[in-house]
Amino acid sequence: MEVEFRVKNLKKGKQGVWFLAAVFMVFGLTGCGEKQEESSFAGDLEEKVISEEQGEKIGGELNLFTWDGMFPQEVLSEFEEEYGVRIHYANFDYDEDMLAKLETAKGGEYDVVIADDYIIELAIQEGLVQKLDKEKILNLENVDQAFLGQFYDPADEYSVPYGAGIPLIVYDPELVGIEITGYEDLWNPVLEDNLALIGNYRVINGMVLKTMGKSFNETDLEVLEEAGEKLKELAPNVRLISDSNTQDYLISGEAAAGFLYTSQVTLALSARPDLKVVYPKEGLGFGIMAMFMPSQAPHEEAGKAFIDFILRPEVSARCFEYIGYVCTNREAVPYLSEEMQKNLALPKEAADGEFIMEVGSAANEVHERIWTEFKAELD
Amino acid sequence: MKRRRSRAWLLVVPFYFYTIVFVILPLAYMVLLSFLQRAEIWGVTKEVTWDNYKNILEPIYLHTFAESLKLALICTALIALLGYPFGYFMAKLSKKWKSRVMILLMIPFWTSALIRMYGWIIIFRSNGLLDRLFMAIHLTEKPLRLLYTYPAVVVGMVYALLPFMILSVYSSVEKMDWSLVDAARDLGASPVYTFFTVTLKLTMPGFLSGIVLTFIPSMGLFFVADILGGNKIVLVGNLIQEQLMKARNWPFAAALSVVLMILTSLMLLLYRKVAGVKELEGLF
Repeated sequence: MEVEFRVKNLKKGKQGVWFLAAVFMVFGLTGCGEKQEESSFAGDLEEKVISEEQGEKIGGELNLFTWDGMFPQEVLSEFEEEYGVRIHYANFDYDEDMLAKLETAKGGEYDVVIADDYIIELAIQEGLVQKLDKEKILNLENVDQAFLGQFYDPADEYSVPYGAGIPLIVYDPELVGIEITGYEDLWNPVLEDNLALIGNYRVINGMVLKTMGKSFNETDLEVLEEAGEKLKELAPNVRLISDSNTQDYLISGEAAAGFLYTSQVTLALSARPDLKVVYPKEGLGFGIMAMFMPSQAPHEEAGKAFIDFILRPEVSARCFEYIGYVCTNREAVPYLSEEMQKNLALPKEAADGEFIMEVGSAANEVHERIWTEFKAELD
Repeated sequence: MKRRRSRAWLLVVPFYFYTIVFVILPLAYMVLLSFLQRAEIWGVTKEVTWDNYKNILEPIYLHTFAESLKLALICTALIALLGYPFGYFMAKLSKKWKSRVMILLMIPFWTSALIRMYGWIIIFRSNGLLDRLFMAIHLTEKPLRLLYTYPAVVVGMVYALLPFMILSVYSSVEKMDWSLVDAARDLGASPVYTFFTVTLKLTMPGFLSGIVLTFIPSMGLFFVADILGGNKIVLVGNLIQEQLMKARNWPFAAALSVVLMILTSLMLLLYRKVAGVKELEGLF
């Protein structure tokens, strides 16, 4: 999932630049009258707070710690206005960096963190996470049951999902003569030199394991070797492997089918609604990113209010449309636009999902090697 | 007088500082890293091991080295064939044209090599510039699938590295003593014979340094294989990048880098032996 985030970051990064440019322009233009502006702004703010029923002004600050580009700016601004809290948004690139920083801060410094499932499990084990206050965070019950009770937090005491990543198959029915229903179909010779793949070897190797009826997290080295042999047979169909903007190759017709990250699937469908999405029948690979509060969060009230705010159905829907991840908030679905409902809501008939977890260094080494062997077959 | 002399060493301090901080320390760090083991979650453990080097002996990783050498050889041969005549004739141009051609050679360097590779995508992709040209002159009927193929990578590599060969050969031909060529011709040698016995030999140092300057980078230019090869060709550079950024196996990436560095150092040693000079010619 890491890579997917980086890809997304590039995009959001650009928006960030425009936003900054806009900010500079505004300040540049209103530079002289800055003081008056500020006071009238504060007036607006108070009015709004009073008019909101739920809005109880907390004041102070909130330290948010997650990847770049995880929230639309207006959602953050709304929270700031409603609760009178200033948000400090700090970024990390990798989950592991987040954990290292949290360890150094001994569970302090940050109020709300969003990170991937497996790292949250470690953070909980290290006692760096506090239990969620179910009395205060009432919107916790909006979360879709399908995403609860997972391995990293079995009793849902510490964390709440913010979004799910599920790599899916997308294809162009015009260019592909067959109906694709599962991973196995990607080996079909009609797809010769026409398949675009993401470059995450755990996901791709895991897909092969699924076609063999095994788990994404298989640790039997012999089974992994077998999967490696089967993966090599996929080589003639592969047009390219890319982690960034893989959807573009499908949109432009450079490839007829692709196995893509969730946010890429969303982008592909927005550009080409005629493309077909497949929830592979062999089973889905899952990743969840979830919100939690560190054990020594300095602004507890603000942190709780923020999580509650983000889980409001209408706010949540806007976040999902922005990040393009599979919707984990049941109540938010009706607020998604019709098109996005199709893209982001997990269909009822979708096969069971399986988390992609750490498998240990012995299995990892085989994963790396069979991946390299596969790539050597490609040219 | 004495005092002044004793402070002269201060002049070389920045140089030593720079070398130690930016060259020797990172190198030492990399060599050290290559003997450690990957930790389960993050970083490395303190255990010292040869395993990373043993791992390189796995057939698939040896194959990667062989594949890189093959691509480097193909590219270097093509670059030599294109670059030598280019550099040779460029050196024989009038002064005015020499500088014009030189500017034309340098302009692409103002743009990042990465961006220039994206330019090739526009040329190579289905229904791209080349396809439309071929179809317009009825050479082909359907779009060729040129992008993400081996030849596409070779073209990208040759394009990226050709200037190094041209400049090396150019500077060698430029300072050649042409009276020797005249002498050979006066003594009855044919132009072709003269070229092979006199010109080629005199420009050999430049030519060889061009070969070194193109051969070594072509083993490590991983982004060309990524962008134009659709990630389908694994070079040592790609392998290192993948181990570092995706597998996060830093020690193995470090071991691969050390082996690559030893290989390229051997190339440089070989160059010194063959060319009989100490410095690479052309860029210095």
